[in-house]
Amino acid sequence: MATNKEMTGGAAGATVIGPTITINGKLSGDEDLTVRGRVEGEVTLTKTLFLEVSGVVKANVSVKNAVISGVVVGNVRATESVELTKEGRMVGDIAAPRVILVDGASFRGRIEMGDASVSRAAGDRVGRPARVSARPSAPPRPPPPPRAEARGMANSKSTVTPILSKMESKSPPVPPALAAGKRKVVVRKRER
Amino acid sequence: MMEREAEHMANTVIGSSIVIDGEISGEEDLVVQGTVKGKISLKESLFVEGSGIVEADIQTQNVEVAGKVTGNINASQKVELKSDCRVVGDIRAPRILIADGASFKGNVDMDAKGR
Repeated sequence: MATNKEMTGGAAGATVIGPTITINGKLSGDEDLTVRGRVEGEVTLTKTLFLEVSGVVKANVSVKNAVISGVVVGNVRATESVELTKEGRMVGDIAAPRVILVDGASFRGRIEMGDASVSRAAGDRVGRPARVSARPSAPPRPPPPPRAEARGMANSKSTVTPILSKMESKSPPVPPALAAGKRKVVVRKRER
Repeated sequence: MMEREAEHMANTVIGSSIVIDGEISGEEDLVVQGTVKGKISLKESLFVEGSGIVEADIQTQNVEVAGKVTGNINASQKVELKSDCRVVGDIRAPRILIADGASFKGNVDMDAKGR
């Protein structure tokens, strides 16, 4: 008897809501659910909801996976995937990392697939700033490169002076040599 | 037994991890292995299996209880309390069978039979 039941149930999960059955209220569970009848209210499962062609769900659905061949009016939130088969019809919002709409499926509503990945990325970002703030000495880094360049250039006078002269040409004319002399360039020279 | 198996084949099963809080109605057999709270009205039979827990008022044609039922049972034909069941509530049906080992608390009304 038990085996027989398992076999019949095993096709799509232990729980089946037959075609003439109407459930009005909250339905929750940790196993697959096959709906051939009507469920209104709320469906919460940790496994897969199979909504067959004759099935109607007017409910907010929260499951791991949903395979919809029947009619859904309401929002579906899945932690893994939502599949609307070619017989599936749905009005409502879908939130799931994977959403599959097959040719022939009818759907009206919003789909949100990014939710999970965005939150993951956001989490990363949240994590990183803490690390960045842990080393406050990091920000000054961008400015140094120019200095380093200037130093590098200062080493070869010939390149420095033209650049400086170009820069200073817009401001009151100063002898490039003096301008250069006022700056570190000369100091560098002395250091040497 | 054969009959029951056949009935199980086609019909609605509420699996053992399922909890339904609300109303169930329909025109076919219902097998409850899980938990149902609220109200059940069927035109056919309700089977509450060993693992099944029903806290609901029940209105059906036949009821067969091997699990736990809390609530009133109103059957148009037969109510059968199996040996390991626990039932609290009133039963109203023309035929009522209580097997040895069954636990039951409540009123029994077989008035249809008396008429």
